[in-house]
Amino acid sequence: MLELSSRKVSGASQASAARIGVGGPVGSGKTALIERLIPVLRGRGVDLAVVTNDLVTKEDAERLRRSGLIDPARVLAVEAGACPHTVIREDPTLNMAAGDDLEASFPGLELIIFESGGDNLASTFSLDLVDWWMFVIDVAGGDDIPRKKGPGVLKSDLLVVNKTDLAPYVGVDLEGMLTEANAVRAGKPVLATNARRGEGVEAVADMICRAVLFHA
Amino acid sequence: MLHIDHVIGDRSEPAMHKRLHHLEHHGTVDVVTIPLADMARHRLRIVTPAGEDLAIALPRDEKLFDGAVLLIDDARAIVVRAEVERWLRLQPATIADAIELGYHAGNLHWRVRFDGECLLVALEGPADAYYARLEGLLADRTIETTIVTGDLAA
Repeated sequence: MLELSSRKVSGASQASAARIGVGGPVGSGKTALIERLIPVLRGRGVDLAVVTNDLVTKEDAERLRRSGLIDPARVLAVEAGACPHTVIREDPTLNMAAGDDLEASFPGLELIIFESGGDNLASTFSLDLVDWWMFVIDVAGGDDIPRKKGPGVLKSDLLVVNKTDLAPYVGVDLEGMLTEANAVRAGKPVLATNARRGEGVEAVADMICRAVLFHA
Repeated sequence: MLHIDHVIGDRSEPAMHKRLHHLEHHGTVDVVTIPLADMARHRLRIVTPAGEDLAIALPRDEKLFDGAVLLIDDARAIVVRAEVERWLRLQPATIADAIELGYHAGNLHWRVRFDGECLLVALEGPADAYYARLEGLLADRTIETTIVTGDLAA
């Protein structure tokens, strides 16, 4: 009797798209990072879509739709109407429905990126919504952010420290900030990026591809 | 890389249990322990003790569970063991303390369960981190604290 119920493959499952979250404080560069990730991931052949979350507008969705980086129909907006974490953690139904709509509209979709509205350091994603998530902070927010050990900093699958180019102008010791970030995360990855110039973005894409798209 | 796209069954099902028992005699049941923080994921990569690189991608309506059988054939099987969940059991002595404790637990977005007059908080990190958040409350109140595992917390 032979009942092999799984199979050896090198790519992602076609059953449903992988779903990842991008969270972090207001102005840390979440949308800018996504704008850089889109061409990098598409360049690797990843079929993707985006769901943005804003408080009472569709500002981030409109920005991505206008960017020319992605078919505007592949960008959906969720208006939280309240604290952003309520729709990515407590009750992510609106975002789950948006993800389902995108999968129905674009068969073969491999990846959906959910961008949270800007929030505080306590923000986390429900694993009912996403399979993996990153938390984006920036050097201009202060080099003490990792030491404050918020759940977003500690629990995310990847911590991104963005706007590295600003460190000298805001009196931040970038190396020390990264050392502290690595210390508080106890082995979970930390990456430094300058999304404005695209620095470090390939490494972020590598992590996404390995973690949820199962590229080698 | 071995791609798993659904859970085949539950090791406690009689027919599955029998097949696994047979394979256990040959030492070919690969039991992969999945950290609690990862049990709710629909997609994850994890390497089994036998060295198999698993790429798990379950349908949205399926979840991993303790005893989930991910692969079975005549030669081997791969079974999930969920890491044992630990809970901080807090027993306040007064209603006032209970109200304040409940307020803090909600404010901190802790995952909780209730057991009579006790509040159980799921430990998703070191217990000291939880004690630190309750420092002010525990310092001058009578709140009994113990750490229990999943079975005892039920």
